[in-house]
Amino acid sequence: MRFRHRRTAAVAALAAVAVLGLPACSAVLGEEESVLDAASLTIGVKTDQPGLGLEGADGDITGFDVDVALSIAEKLGFSEEEVELTGITSAEREDRLVNGEVDMVVATYSITPARKTEVTFAGPYYVAKQDVLVRAENTDVQGVRDLEGLRVCQGEGSNSAARITEGLGIDVRKTEAPSYSACVDALREGDVDAVSTDNLILAGYLAENPDAFRFVNNPFTDEKYGVGLPYGDVRACEAVNKAISEMYQDGTAEELLNTWFGETGLDVVTRVPQFEGCDST
Amino acid sequence: MTATGSTSEHGPSSSSRRGEPRSSPHRDRGRRWTETTPARLWLLTSVCVVAIVGLFGSAASTLGHAREGLHVLGRDAGRQAMATTDLYLALADMDARVADVLLMGTDHDLGSGREDALAHYEASRARANEALLQAASLTEGDSVEEHNVQAVLDGMGAYERLATRARLLNDEAQAPPGRVDAAALDAYREATHLMHTGLLPKAFNLGLDSSAIVRANHEEGRESVAIGLVWVGTVGAVAVAALIGLQLYLRVRFRRRFNAPLLVATAGTALLTAGVVLALTSSGGHQSEAKEQGLDAAMALSRAGAIATDMQADQSRYLLDPDRADNHQQVYLARAQQVLYRPAGNLEEYYQAIGEVAAAYPELPGSGGSDPEDPGTLGYLGQRAQDALLPGQEDALAGVLESYDALQTEDRRLRAASEDGDLAGAVDIRMGVAHSGDGAFQAYETALAELIDLHEGAFAEGIERGDAVLAPWTWLLPVGTLLLLALVGLGVRPRLAEYR
Repeated sequence: MRFRHRRTAAVAALAAVAVLGLPACSAVLGEEESVLDAASLTIGVKTDQPGLGLEGADGDITGFDVDVALSIAEKLGFSEEEVELTGITSAEREDRLVNGEVDMVVATYSITPARKTEVTFAGPYYVAKQDVLVRAENTDVQGVRDLEGLRVCQGEGSNSAARITEGLGIDVRKTEAPSYSACVDALREGDVDAVSTDNLILAGYLAENPDAFRFVNNPFTDEKYGVGLPYGDVRACEAVNKAISEMYQDGTAEELLNTWFGETGLDVVTRVPQFEGCDST
Repeated sequence: MTATGSTSEHGPSSSSRRGEPRSSPHRDRGRRWTETTPARLWLLTSVCVVAIVGLFGSAASTLGHAREGLHVLGRDAGRQAMATTDLYLALADMDARVADVLLMGTDHDLGSGREDALAHYEASRARANEALLQAASLTEGDSVEEHNVQAVLDGMGAYERLATRARLLNDEAQAPPGRVDAAALDAYREATHLMHTGLLPKAFNLGLDSSAIVRANHEEGRESVAIGLVWVGTVGAVAVAALIGLQLYLRVRFRRRFNAPLLVATAGTALLTAGVVLALTSSGGHQSEAKEQGLDAAMALSRAGAIATDMQADQSRYLLDPDRADNHQQVYLARAQQVLYRPAGNLEEYYQAIGEVAAAYPELPGSGGSDPEDPGTLGYLGQRAQDALLPGQEDALAGVLESYDALQTEDRRLRAASEDGDLAGAVDIRMGVAHSGDGAFQAYETALAELIDLHEGAFAEGIERGDAVLAPWTWLLPVGTLLLLALVGLGVRPRLAEYR
């Protein structure tokens, strides 16, 4: 992260104050540093999530999250050359933001009160909901309650099955696979009866294989996908919120949702989500 | 000042010096005059006067900035920001009342009654319209926000049509309490979906945007005052230095120990500079306090009230729409955790955790950081509890937490009754919670309003104090400046008179 504007004025002013011994403190001077002031923007995205952020054979990363990230960066005033995309896994999102390796994270990153103690979230740019994916020929499952007694797969490190068993008190047979890709494979093979996680993630798999699976389309939780920013970067957060509002107003969001999930039968919401707010509460 | 060294051979009486043969007479005369004592005296005096006038200028302009910052925060931006937060609350309340009326069905006397619910609906509608008009004037010129205001205006019409249809269909079907007519439910689903995807998010974002404007104004104002402070300090120091220089020059040239008026002027300049710097710093402190402890806190708590309004309405939605009950229950928990967060995987865990918070306060569970899995007590109320600083705030906050806990206790009873198949009992509990006289939600709102009042009071007080600190300087600065100039004149005039 390089800085376009050195805050020389502030520094000089501070020096002058120090020399003159005036009672003023540094906090009074200037705004805080922001990723907005940098000459380039490094954005962390997923590389293994079809439809959201997937690295192709040619090394290009594509998906809904990627396009959202690029659109936001453009609206913030960064040209294409000034934006660098880098792969990021779920586990390393906080660390790489905190140590400054990435300036922004757009990677199916759910806003939670606990995470908000470490990361400032703009957005959400989309509110995903937990839903259920079954094989196309399975018409018995019409809602999450119909999963009672069935085999439900969750990706390693995920909490989605617990939301069914503990959150809703439904008794399902939990199985775990290394990733949701593996879960979807197991579903195709008939080794499990259902996969349950955020509907955008499920839609991504469905889009790859629309005839094999069916969406239950009876969502039961809200997952607010936020734009992760360095903690306390309120200025950037407000600017990103504005960019997201614009994205919905000028039709970009709807277009992107249709591009990536239009074929899947997912009920997408094409209106701007309720933002979280940029302060740390 | 070193000027005295090079001309030390000239006493006050040797007012001229022989010119060099080659220079033109004209230039010669000019140089001769500038090197005379009266010329130097005039020059030094002018420097002092300019510096004092400069001090006046920089101080007046910075005091002006500071005053303007206070007024923008206190009179305009702050109040408008509060108005936009009210829009969300009014809209959420409208949808809550519609859900309650549908849930009551034919029993018009449940809770505080159908008429009461409809009257509240109307009142909230009027409030929403008023807040929208205010927001429209506030967001003029900002295309993104203007667009949002327009969308909410349009959406309100559509929402009202759907809500009215749902109510009429339910009335026509003579639906009993708790068993909403299927067609009415369809219309209500559409209405509440529109409210929650089209209206409330935009209203909430408008409120956030007003906060952002307030923050940007505040930061900008602070920055310009900080720069002004440096100017005042620098110019003040220059003025003091010039006055001391003049004093030293007089001492060397005229062999006088002290020039009393100049001495007083020097001290006065230092005092004036220090006074202005002190006033600006202290008023800035009051302004920041007004913003953080006053406005920001009041806005955060207003949001806690608005989200809770939507949350308690999820109870009605949970009861009237069994097919989506799971979703409404999860969303209830999600909204509750926005208001007051404790780690909890389901409502049962949440009820328990909230009970612990209310019991332990002012201690906050999980705040020690001893458990890496426990981020502490968070959300709008949790954050407030962490920052509680105002006198009386602790008691008021304790009241809010207790009433919030009581609200959750009612929620637990409601869901237990519903799960046991006691629909009538569950509807009864729900209408009791929503009772506009002594319901659990009303109690929570009352307690919250008391706490918000404290913060609004702190806001007004901070602005007032900041203003009070600056007020005397409107006359102190010009009077002080004139006095200093007069003192300089008084100190220099007798010496200049020696050359007439």
